Parts: sequence; structure tokens; C-alpha cells
Amino acid sequence: MTTNTDKLLDVRDIHTFIGQFHILEGVSVSVPRGAITVLLGRNGAGKTTTLRSIMGLNQVTQGDITYMNDSLVGKSAHKIAQMGIGYVPEHRAIFKELSVRENLQIAARQKGDLENNLDFVFELFPDLKRLIDLPGGNLSGGQQQMLAIARALVPDNSLLLIDEPSEGLAPIIIQELISAIRTLAANKTVLLVEQNFRVATLLADYFVIIDDGHSVASGNMSDLHKEHELVQRYLGVA
Amino acid sequence: MAETTHTTPNKSARTASAQRLGFVAGLRENWLYWLILVILVLFPFIIGWLSGDSPFGAPRGDRMVMRGESVYAQSILINIFALAVLVMSYNLMFGFTGVISFGHALFFGLGGYLMGIILEFGGMDPNLGLLVSLVVVLAVTGVLGFIVGLVSLRLRGIYFAIFTLAIAEMGWLFFRGLEITNGEDGLNIASMPEWIDPARNRILVYYVGLALFVLTFVLIRRLVNSPVGSVFQAIRENEERAQVLGYNTLRYKLFSITVAGMLAGLAGMLLAIMNKEARPEILNVSVTVDALLMTIIGGVGTFTGPVIGASGLHLLDTFLREAVITIGPLTIDIGERWTLILGFIFVLVVLIFPYGVVGTWKRLQMRFRRNK
Repeated sequence: MTTNTDKLLDVRDIHTFIGQFHILEGVSVSVPRGAITVLLGRNGAGKTTTLRSIMGLNQVTQGDITYMNDSLVGKSAHKIAQMGIGYVPEHRAIFKELSVRENLQIAARQKGDLENNLDFVFELFPDLKRLIDLPGGNLSGGQQQMLAIARALVPDNSLLLIDEPSEGLAPIIIQELISAIRTLAANKTVLLVEQNFRVATLLADYFVIIDDGHSVASGNMSDLHKEHELVQRYLGVA
Repeated sequence: MAETTHTTPNKSARTASAQRLGFVAGLRENWLYWLILVILVLFPFIIGWLSGDSPFGAPRGDRMVMRGESVYAQSILINIFALAVLVMSYNLMFGFTGVISFGHALFFGLGGYLMGIILEFGGMDPNLGLLVSLVVVLAVTGVLGFIVGLVSLRLRGIYFAIFTLAIAEMGWLFFRGLEITNGEDGLNIASMPEWIDPARNRILVYYVGLALFVLTFVLIRRLVNSPVGSVFQAIRENEERAQVLGYNTLRYKLFSITVAGMLAGLAGMLLAIMNKEARPEILNVSVTVDALLMTIIGGVGTFTGPVIGASGLHLLDTFLREAVITIGPLTIDIGERWTLILGFIFVLVVLIFPYGVVGTWKRLQMRFRRNK
């Protein structure tokens, strides 16, 4: 798919346990620099666990993950975040009791992070500007998702891991999010988990299919349409 | 030159003007706090004026005896100050950072015991002894908080709580069996500097307590409203989310537990000064449970909640503990059933104010503003 030098993130044959359960039994994902890669698969296939393993939130017992040629395995989540990886967890993981402003401020890692990137954030998500002093918990689902993504844009992250951005949102909001993610991908590399096949098709340049803890297929998103059997077998989409 | 200054004020004049405006705005915004502070400063004299008793006590020969309504009221408030500092410190850790500990009494008790041991056995001038006590209490509770936190914060949730309970119980058992502090009877502190001896100069103990209370309130408010405080609150809401933003949450929790431990130590010192003794009960788990209840009743994660919780429950305890109610042929001794009544109050408050008194009030205010 890509040469080694193009890869910003390289996940090689990782195995992850949650408690006694062997969740990832050999997942490999190459994330090319400057592109959007999507992890596809049915519920429970191991997509979220892959993102969490990259972030150091689940311990990898075998295999390796390299980001800009540095291994991430064994590093704690905060160290991985400081290396320039932004993580937007599923279920709109904002701080509900903090205001929109505080949610953005807390994401700044260095002085000037917020000031330097705030215009871009408001350009991408104009709604947040007028909601700036409201508690995060008072926002609608779509606004919370926008805030969660905006938070990952405040520090200078090179790679964004976004888990299920369209989950539970109205079609019109999904459309706004697709447009925002495409815009931000001009400067960032994105690894996305997305259940909605249509959204994935509109967004991603590359795909990796995960099934039952294994990565089973990968390639260009534009070629996936032709792989009817693959799509039907692993994603259940006709 | 003078004209220039009038038409275009120089930078220092602008800064002074901005400071004045900031001060006025601060006064306006916090008028209730300032009003309460003024009332507390004047409190001994207000009670003295109302009751006709001197706030300095009653003269007997060439010295003052600590008698009268004002002196009694000062004692109640000194106890409230000590309790409020303890509960505010607990709230910093539990309410703002989300760390639930059952070992907070260890720091409170150590404050009292360390001061008692230094004053009684240090062989120093009492004033120097008090100063040394202050430094030692802050250092020991700070270091101990850090070590206990470092060892135990790697444990999660209930395991952390049980570990801290075990450490505190060890402290309680240790001082209960320690001969030089008279074991279960506790240590009487006779070598107190005269100026802060509650038996001679209650009003100064009152103002020392008030200063500690105000400083603790301001310190916690500033800390929680700072960027560090936002991280505390983020950890409370969801520690994992704070981690993936790049925060070493263990470091922040350690900071919170260390500051809380030091403040609890100071609260223990104040209580030991007021009672002129340190007894093993101040290390008991019931002290931590009381702090937890007062935090919940007042409002977890609020600034004034712990103060309301501590003062409300202490006032009820003071005035109802000795009360005997007679209804017809039925006589109820409240003191005998105090724990039962306290439990009933707790259940009632949890049902009526699910977020504590201040927490529920704030939510109602927010709902009212939204509907307006």
C-alpha cells in the first residue's frame, strides 16, 4: 500500500488482552502520512481496542507500534499524547462539567497552543464560538462531538485517532462533521474508526478491515467498492 | 508634563486604574464573602455586645477567666474553623480531584500529635516550639501524603480507599498504644505559648483559626480556578480522558493529596490548640467519615459546601447533643440517639438535596437561568 518512509504510524501484528480475554490476535495497520485511514469491521471486531492499544490505554503484549520511527509499546498514555497523537474517544468524550472554553484550554500542552489554533477551530466548528461559556454537558450530541474533535486540534498533533465520530448523530450533523474532518486532514493524518460504511467511503483514502481480532484486508478505499464479497463477508453491507 | 499625564495617562497610571477597577469588580462579585468575613471578624464583639459579656472573658484578679457568652461562642467557631479546614481539604481531594480516601484522619491526627509532642517534649521555648511544630507538621504531612499517594494511587477506586484506611488505622493503633503520649488517655498539652493559650487568650485563638480558615478557602479557590484545578476536575470526570490529553494524572493526584494532607495537618493543630490535648480519637476513621458526610451534605466539588456541611453538623451536634425534648408524657434524650438522628439527617439531605445543599442550589439556579 505505502512505502515505509510514507508511514506515520505502523502497527505490526499486535496482540492485546483485556483481563483474561485475548481481544487483538494479530492486527497490523499502516497509516500513511497526510491521509485518512479507516478501520472497518463489525461490532466487537477489535477496532476501538486497536485505537486504545495505540494510545497505551490497553497493554500490548506482542507485536510493535511505531510512530515516527519511535516505538509506542510500553509507553504511558500521557507520553504518547505528548508525542503528537490526539485521541478522540467514542461517546463524545468531553468534560461535561467544564465549559467549552475550559475544555479547549485544558487541551493546550504549550503556551500559545490555544491562541495559535483557535481561529482554525472556530473556522471548522463555528457553533463552538457562540457556545464558548456554556458547560460541555449543555451541548447537543453533535456539538459535543465537534468539541471533542476541536480539543484534539488545540495542541500541534500530527496524528488524530477518531473513534466513531458519526455515532448517534443526525444526517445533517454527520455531513458537517465529514466536511470538517476532510478540511482538517489537509494538515493532519487521521486514523478513524467508523461503523457507517457510507461515511467511511466519503472520508477515507485507505481502509483496514478488522475481524475477530485480526486484520484481514487493507488497501485503497476507492478499490473497496469492487470487492463485493469482502464487503459483504466482513462488513455485512450489500 | 502634567498635561500630558492628564490627557494620556502613562502605563503605571493605567495599571493602577485597572487595579482599582479590578478591586471594585472583585468586591462586587464577592460581596457576600466579604460580608461574611467582616461579620466573622466582628463576631466576638457582636456577641459580647448582645450578651453584655466581654469577648476577652471575665476579669478575676489580675487575669481574665474564659467565661461568658462571647467566649463560649468563640469556642464553637474555633471548632467549626478546624472542622471546615479539614472538610475543605478533603473536598479538594475527593470533590475536585475525585480521589476517595478513608485515611484523611491520619493527617489531621498527626497535626495535633506532632505539635503536642514537640511542645511537651521538645524542651524549647513555647513560641519557638510552636513555630517548629508548624514547620514539622507541614513537612511530615506533606511528605507522608506524597508517599502514601505514590504507593497507593497506583491502586484504583475501592482498593485505594481500603489501602488509605489501613494506613490510617495503623496510625490510630500506634498512637493509642504509645506510652509517651499516654495511650488511650491522650496527650495533654500544657506548654502552650501564653498568647495562643485558649484558657488565657481565647480571642487570639479565634483569630488564628479565622486566619487559617480564610487562607485555606482562598488557597483552594485559587488552586481550583487555576489551570491545575481544571486538570483536577478533568481527572474527577474521567481520568483516562485527561491522560490522552497528555497529562500525567498521577502527578496531579499526588499534588492534590499532598496539599490536602498538609491542610488537614494544620486543622489538627488548630483543634489540638483549642482542646489543649491530642487524643487518639482524632486519628479514628470516624473523623474521615464525618469529613466525607459533611462534604456530601454541603455539596461535593463546591467551595462553600464543605463549610456549610461542617458548620451545620457541628452546630446541630453542639446544640442538640445535650437537648432533651418532652412531648406530653414522652421524654426524648437527643444525646442518647444523636448518631441515629445524624443518620436520619444524612438520609433526608441526600433525598432532598441529591447534590448537597450548595450543589443542588447551584443546579436550581442554572435551571432557572436556562428557563428565563
